[in-house]
Amino acid sequence: MKFLKIMGEYLGGIEFSAGYRWQHWIRAISIFALVATGFYLANPFITFANPSPTPTRFLHAEIREWHIIFGFAMIGAVLYKTIYFFFFKEAKYERESIKDAFNIKLAIQQIMYYMLIAKHPHTRGIYNPLQFWAYTMLYVFFYGIIITGLALYAEVYHAGLGGMLYPFAKAVESFFGGLAYVRLWHHIFMWAIIIVVFIHIYMAVYNAVFGKNGGMDAIFSGMKWEKEE
Amino acid sequence: MKDALMEKMRKRIEELRKLPGVSNKSIKEVLEENGISRRDFLKWAGALAVTLGLPASFAPVVAEAAEVSDRLPVVWLHLAECTGCSESLIRTDAPSIDDLIFNYINLQYHDTLMAAAGWQAEENYEEALKKFAGRFILCVEGGVPTKDGGEYLTIGPEAETGLEKLKRTAAKAAAVIAVGTCSSFGGIQAAYPNPTGTVGISKVLNKPVINVPGCPPSAKNIVGTIVYRILYGALPPVDNLNRPKWAYGLRIHDLCERRGHFDAGEFVEEFGDAGAMNGFCLYKVGCKGPYTFNNCSRERFNQHTSWPVQAGHGCIGCSEPDFWDAMAPYEEPLADHKFMSVNADATADKVGVTILTLAGVAIVAHAAISAIKPPKE
Repeated sequence: MKFLKIMGEYLGGIEFSAGYRWQHWIRAISIFALVATGFYLANPFITFANPSPTPTRFLHAEIREWHIIFGFAMIGAVLYKTIYFFFFKEAKYERESIKDAFNIKLAIQQIMYYMLIAKHPHTRGIYNPLQFWAYTMLYVFFYGIIITGLALYAEVYHAGLGGMLYPFAKAVESFFGGLAYVRLWHHIFMWAIIIVVFIHIYMAVYNAVFGKNGGMDAIFSGMKWEKEE
Repeated sequence: MKDALMEKMRKRIEELRKLPGVSNKSIKEVLEENGISRRDFLKWAGALAVTLGLPASFAPVVAEAAEVSDRLPVVWLHLAECTGCSESLIRTDAPSIDDLIFNYINLQYHDTLMAAAGWQAEENYEEALKKFAGRFILCVEGGVPTKDGGEYLTIGPEAETGLEKLKRTAAKAAAVIAVGTCSSFGGIQAAYPNPTGTVGISKVLNKPVINVPGCPPSAKNIVGTIVYRILYGALPPVDNLNRPKWAYGLRIHDLCERRGHFDAGEFVEEFGDAGAMNGFCLYKVGCKGPYTFNNCSRERFNQHTSWPVQAGHGCIGCSEPDFWDAMAPYEEPLADHKFMSVNADATADKVGVTILTLAGVAIVAHAAISAIKPPKE
């Protein structure tokens, strides 16, 4: 094809394993589904035009069901990713990022790159310092929303898993000062996640446009390309 | 095991029966005077037994416990409160058995009910503390102001602070029961900004306190806790916030008569609309039943006649800690919750949208600048 030409020499390799990519997309889809259903549960904005005196169309219960299904999908993805980060062999270069994260010089250069006045720094791990701390906060929010979510879940479903989690739910309830506050914090954690996701998407697109190394493709194909220097 | 338990309860009741009662009438006579038959009384006892988690065969034992309730000395303190809890029990036009038993208990000291006044009342109080030391049940109505040494509440001719009086009385009590939301969690006095530093009594006592919250709590929950104490000689098993499990184990929402409509997504949109006429769920007009632990949806009020949700207004969560702040506004769902604190939905939505907008503007600007002047490679 005419527009193809030799672009120097590239180094390639698997950046994200299959499991990694799956959990990322399960998590991503879950977040969008959970935000949409969550807003409905907080204030049911869709109601039937012709009310019937007998409750037969269980819309709220259905939407809650989807909220719970996606909630547990997200919990699975978050747990997988947490274990992956700490224990998986493939996560070696993710763990390397911890060392970069405390490198202030590197962080400053990263900020200068975003301010368009310096080159992108070379990092040892796969995340730059700003990215690493943003993701760390994201996981604080994830665990916040999971803990409050499970506490709310256990109060609705008293048997099975809910029953097993009940003492835990009660402890969470005491910690937050009542179930109303558990719910409010669940809502606040949602907003924190929305904001991180919003910026994350911009950064991903930005890197795809200006990085010119197929960086965005890695989350689909797993392949990372870097120019040899 | 059931027999052993019944035997134990009977023994306790026999012991109590030996103590002098204060009333010159038996409960039987009191009930008869008020037109309540033995049959009604036993029905009540059966219902209370079941409420307390006992088999219905325990009804006679519960009835006996109620009969000896005038032997158990009770001291009732009023701290920072409105007396609504007492009033709701005593101001009924047709007193229920709960009300009558409440009047029948050996009430040694109760600001509102006692005949004595002034120095005489003070003397009765000191006398009761001495005479029944280590034996009486202390019921407390109202939160306790703690700021500036508790001087926002002083009681009696010596201007003793509520804090001191509470500590002094509780030290001699056999058991402490917090009646109402104020004494359990601080209540409205403790609402933001809480100028008097009011807290629930358990915060200043180092004794176990049984919380019977509600604004007011139902008569059944108060009398049930006292009868439980008579039957078992111990305080009931409690949940994480020290509320008796038999009364506060489930949410209002769990046993609500309108729950089907909640799951169906059928909501009252505004008071008086078609949904309200059909008895739809009150969630969207502010029902806080999903966050509130109480047995109103099962026990109701006024001799099991009705309760707020049945009457068409949502639960306001009055038996939850911090309800004045946490549950407001009462006629709107928590999603519309606006308050000074950041942990409020509407505030969170506003802050969230603002940050999101700012981030969006910043992103557009950054992208635009980057397009003109690409980043260094």
